[in-house]
Amino acid sequence: MSTTLITPVLTKGIGELNLREIAVYREQGGYEQLRRAVVELSPKDVADICNGSNLRGRGGAGFPTGRKWSFLPKDAKTRYMVCNCDEAEPGTFKDHMLLEETPHQIIEGILIGAYAIGCDHAYIYIRGEFKRGYEIMRDAVQQARDAGFLGENIFGSGKKLEFTIHRGAGAYICGEETGLLNSLEGKRGEPRLKPPFPAIKGLYGEPTVVNNVETLAYLPYIMRNGPEWFAKVGPERSPGYKVVSISGHVVKPGNYEVPLGTTIRQLIYDCAGGLRPGRTFMGVQPGGGSSACLFEEHLDVSYDFDSVTKAGSMLGSGAMVVFDDTTDFVKAAYTLIRFFSHESCGQCTPCREGGHWIQKTLERILAGGGVDSDVDVIKSAAHQLTGLNLCALGDSIEPFLASVITRYEDQFRAYIKRTPAPAVGAAS
Amino acid sequence: MSAAVPQTDPASHAELVTLSIDGVEVRVPKGTLLVEAAKTIHTDIPVYCYHEKLGPAGLCRICLVEIDGMPKLQIACNTVVADGMKVHTRNPRVDDGRRAILEFFLLNHPLDCPICDKGGECDLQDYAMAWGSGSSRMIDPKTSKPKAVDLGPTIVLDEERCIVCQRCVRFDQIITREESLRTEDRAVQTIIATATGKPYVSDFTGNVTELCPVGALTSKTYRFRSRPWDNHRTTTSCTQCSVGCRMHVDERGNTVLRTMSVPEDDALSDSWLCDRGRYNVGFVNDERRLTMPLLKQDGAWVQIDWADALDLWAEKIKAALAAGGPERIGAIGGGRLLNEEALLAAHLHRALGVENLDHRIGTQTLVHHGSFANHVDLENANTIITLGRPPSQLAPVLDLRIRKAVSRNGARLISAGDYAADSFVPETHVTTPAGLKDAIGANPGRVAMIWDGVFFEGGPELTAAMHDLPAATRVDRYVLPETPNGRGAEALGMIPRGAGLGTGAMFAAARDGKLDVLSILGANPVLRYPDRALAEDGLRATPFVVVTDLFLTETAEFANLVLPVCSAFEKSGTTTDLAGDVLPVVGSVRPPDGVLADGDLLVELAERLGVTLPMPDELEAKVRELVKTPPADGAVPAYVRATAAAPGGALRVIADAAIFTGGGTLAFDTAIRELHARPHARINPATARALALADGDPVNVAGDNGTTLYDLVVRVDERVAEGAVALLDGVVRAPLNALGRAPAVRLEKVPVTA
Amino acid sequence: MRKNLFNVGALVRGMSTTFSYMFKKKPTVEYPSVKKQHAPRFHGLHELRRYADGKERCIGCELCAIACPANAITVIGAENSPEDRRSPGERFAARYEIDELRCIFCGLCEEACPTDAIVLTPRFEMADYRRGAFVYAKDRLLVPPEAGVGTPPDERPNGIPADLGGVFRAKDTVDIAEGYDATHRGHILKTQRRGLTLRQAKGDDGRPGEIE
Repeated sequence: MSTTLITPVLTKGIGELNLREIAVYREQGGYEQLRRAVVELSPKDVADICNGSNLRGRGGAGFPTGRKWSFLPKDAKTRYMVCNCDEAEPGTFKDHMLLEETPHQIIEGILIGAYAIGCDHAYIYIRGEFKRGYEIMRDAVQQARDAGFLGENIFGSGKKLEFTIHRGAGAYICGEETGLLNSLEGKRGEPRLKPPFPAIKGLYGEPTVVNNVETLAYLPYIMRNGPEWFAKVGPERSPGYKVVSISGHVVKPGNYEVPLGTTIRQLIYDCAGGLRPGRTFMGVQPGGGSSACLFEEHLDVSYDFDSVTKAGSMLGSGAMVVFDDTTDFVKAAYTLIRFFSHESCGQCTPCREGGHWIQKTLERILAGGGVDSDVDVIKSAAHQLTGLNLCALGDSIEPFLASVITRYEDQFRAYIKRTPAPAVGAAS
Repeated sequence: MSAAVPQTDPASHAELVTLSIDGVEVRVPKGTLLVEAAKTIHTDIPVYCYHEKLGPAGLCRICLVEIDGMPKLQIACNTVVADGMKVHTRNPRVDDGRRAILEFFLLNHPLDCPICDKGGECDLQDYAMAWGSGSSRMIDPKTSKPKAVDLGPTIVLDEERCIVCQRCVRFDQIITREESLRTEDRAVQTIIATATGKPYVSDFTGNVTELCPVGALTSKTYRFRSRPWDNHRTTTSCTQCSVGCRMHVDERGNTVLRTMSVPEDDALSDSWLCDRGRYNVGFVNDERRLTMPLLKQDGAWVQIDWADALDLWAEKIKAALAAGGPERIGAIGGGRLLNEEALLAAHLHRALGVENLDHRIGTQTLVHHGSFANHVDLENANTIITLGRPPSQLAPVLDLRIRKAVSRNGARLISAGDYAADSFVPETHVTTPAGLKDAIGANPGRVAMIWDGVFFEGGPELTAAMHDLPAATRVDRYVLPETPNGRGAEALGMIPRGAGLGTGAMFAAARDGKLDVLSILGANPVLRYPDRALAEDGLRATPFVVVTDLFLTETAEFANLVLPVCSAFEKSGTTTDLAGDVLPVVGSVRPPDGVLADGDLLVELAERLGVTLPMPDELEAKVRELVKTPPADGAVPAYVRATAAAPGGALRVIADAAIFTGGGTLAFDTAIRELHARPHARINPATARALALADGDPVNVAGDNGTTLYDLVVRVDERVAEGAVALLDGVVRAPLNALGRAPAVRLEKVPVTA
Repeated sequence: MRKNLFNVGALVRGMSTTFSYMFKKKPTVEYPSVKKQHAPRFHGLHELRRYADGKERCIGCELCAIACPANAITVIGAENSPEDRRSPGERFAARYEIDELRCIFCGLCEEACPTDAIVLTPRFEMADYRRGAFVYAKDRLLVPPEAGVGTPPDERPNGIPADLGGVFRAKDTVDIAEGYDATHRGHILKTQRRGLTLRQAKGDDGRPGEIE
């Protein structure tokens, strides 16, 4: 295992230091960049630094953060910064760890981002299930408030930066930015119709930026080390570091912070310790539950936004789920589809009805009641519901299902013929 | 979901953009939605969740189109046109997309079209014919949900049929602003429910059944009674209140089954109907309708022939003329008649020299007093001031304009005096002259003033600020008549002139034996006149009282001769709305055998009295001329509402109106019994505390004239002034007018018996 | 004359045809004492069927009414109440009327019916002196609860239904002096005696009874 791949930036000190304490975090240089931004730099300077780093959103879509900020109308009086910590993508657990281990880093990042877009009230939306994370964040915010880093007159600069923690109620759809905004406003967590986009009409009808925890947490480091430090790591168009959550059939599952551009093989075999002894690799989801499965031939794909997309999947939030030959892909597909179908907000038709249809069909196949046409029907149903939805949730149904059906159709067929699932690994 | 509806008014956007839809070049104003642009070339883009008045929601995803340069299919309902856009509404890709969406819709939609009320006029059926495949690829059982869920007094929800387009939810958010409906649960279990879990109650519930593109929301009054193809449709004007909404009447086998709004009616109803206009139709076929003239002989009713009845009426009038002259004759009514009938009534009596004519039976003084500004003007006003009983009580659909003006056009709503506007939009409630002046401010913009036509003590002082408006201010005055055609009746002459007596004076004169014949044409003063005792005494003392009505109403009980007449569904003519426009009324069903219209009676009567009436072809021109003539100023108030505190710790009374109170057609319509308002007593929290009453308590209201109204329900409302109680007017079982003209009342809590 | 003699052969040939039929079975039957067998898919009087649990099949959907080319059917629906459940779903036919004089017995109502409720039976005898009597309402159309569910459309009997005394064949005769249920389980018409007494012929020769 090569440890040189792992380059702790956000994850530095985790497990060694109690970064939940503001004093410890400040010893590491914490809040210095916030002070520098607020006291020494103009919002435009901070935005320029971010732009220069070519930082792309770590939440899933990989949209360049600087550009997202630039969509805000110049003349808007009120703007909002919302940090999306509603991490619920199957396979992702990086924000969870950052929230519980390094809350101050997140606060600092949010405040720098808020300052850069000229907003004086930032929100963090924490997934309802992260009770401990919420408590840690609450204490950390109190510490920061006591230290004078947020509230009225921060760092004696006369500037105001308010901060609100909001706990979600446990809906996956609230991770979608407009669903999150609705939930934050106290409404049903349903995605909004776009346009208008949040940058024009977001929280309470005002221009709003929604950024992921990890995206914002990188800001203090980019400020400290300069944008080039970040921009020169990895491929030019998607540079920097990334916390990758590796889970599934690997020896050492966990969060690994690596430069983008590391290959998938390196991540699985060098970082996560490879597969369990005697197992063969069957596939990997490179970007959480919504991403298509990649197979052996993709192992040497560079792990960055563009290359993974080119390989037919997506980097998403950076959650790798590895499957070895003990995997029953019918069950795996069913589990994921049931999740998406259950989490559908019910607003738009394809996602609401289509997801449920596929779920019911898979359920029947698993129960031994499959018919020959089922495989084609779910493939076609999944395909025809894609691209017609109000938000991205509906479009998340097809990728994994289609990729494994294409590759392991025999497993589906075996269920339909009422023969036991071909446990490939068990036989070899 | 509070998506603002983009303005597609061509006048407000001079700039045009050119795009091509299916190869046809289209020029539409900038900002137009694609789905609207396609309508200009009659290209049908299917929609479920989109609605012209509700705007886009992007939920159903059926309105897919392909736009050159866009990788995915786009929804036409939320795409704003752009210059040079090339749109394809029909090609294999679009068809595939729509087919896919239709397949998803039909997966769990039950196949009960044969018994569905919407079957035959259902968008899902229509598009399933166009895009659906003949059979389902889903072999699993459909998701089962509750059917016939009782959503409220008027609406039944079939959860299986619901396709979650949320039109109903958005109607309640965007149009009525009441926000009582919402979606509940999620994913495939998503259902429509009330936000509170309580029944869905509003004055506009029926509209959701029309908005529903499938048969999920159905009206209790129409459920399973007919299929669309059985119905014969007539388009008329609603005559239930003074708004005069355009509406379709669907009739089958000479039974009015339902009324529907007219989507094109932007001028009056804005394509909505209130629940009274929609549901108060059952009375037409009620078996208690009168079908023969009734004569009271020795205290009992005797059916007599029409000819005898009319002869008797004419004889009595002739005798009165001979004995004492025209001042011994009077006529009351007209507010519920058609314009032509009101004109004939006035003409007939004036020809005989009778000046005792009045259409006012309630508390109003003047109603033909408003300017001729229309509903759209109200929508575009900047400052809206309501004075007296608000439109939400007297003209519900007009109130929707106020909600629209405030919520979408940013108008300010001010309610002055005893009544709050109750419009579900932010309002400023003022009770003092200074407060009103402050609320109006220095820059009121266009002002619309809505008055219920009732004078009240301190009124001139309160409204003094209206005289201080900047000189150039446009002020539109709206007066809300208590009766549907009050404005028409007044303009057409059913109002005392010269030495003529008004309604109250007629009753007083009658009581003193100065009146021989009193004709009451379609009016119920015993229930509505502010002093019931006077009305009853007057009627009792009059030697000959003729009442024309559909039913044996409270007033008809006092008559010597009762003549059965047509309802507005059974006759044609015109009516006048509150804005002073003449609207057509078109009959849709035949009256019961032997029943005549008021106009027919008057013609017969005129013949017997030797009076020449205007010819039918002159009538229309005459009606239009008179209705459009502004009234002379300077009326003497017929009634002045007291606003001074009642003596001795008693409460003064404020009269509330409600669209579902009243006698006659409302009281005799069995299908809407659930909608009748339970008589309430609204009191201020301070008053409630002082009297140890809580919201929902049953109380008796004891008047200072010795009358008591029993079993009212207390509603605690901070908008009612201290020392006052607001009681519903026109409730048959607890008639407010029985308490007298300016009552002081006490509330007595009803002891709860175990 | 000679010519005529030569034609005796023709006469014999002609008469032989006549004589040959004299001893064949007669195709004419003496209706109503004798009834002929129907064609298998004969369309006669309508019947509204029930489910085995006694509930009405008709849901009052009016599809028969809209399908009817003769406008002979009137249906008015109503909602089932839990206390008095008439049909399985929410809706039932409060009124169901067929004007049998207007009806052209085409069977489109049967085709249109989504629940196989309305079927055409082979019954055809519904004479009356009053036109109004031909408007058949639910009281005469609906199978009485004690009489089962009615005839499924695909099991239409070949001939006259058993409840009319079995399938009549041309060789059978019946004494109608007593009058008999002409159509439907006593609902419709009793054949009236009109001063004629028919005596049932004995034997199996298929001849009608003699009129006295």
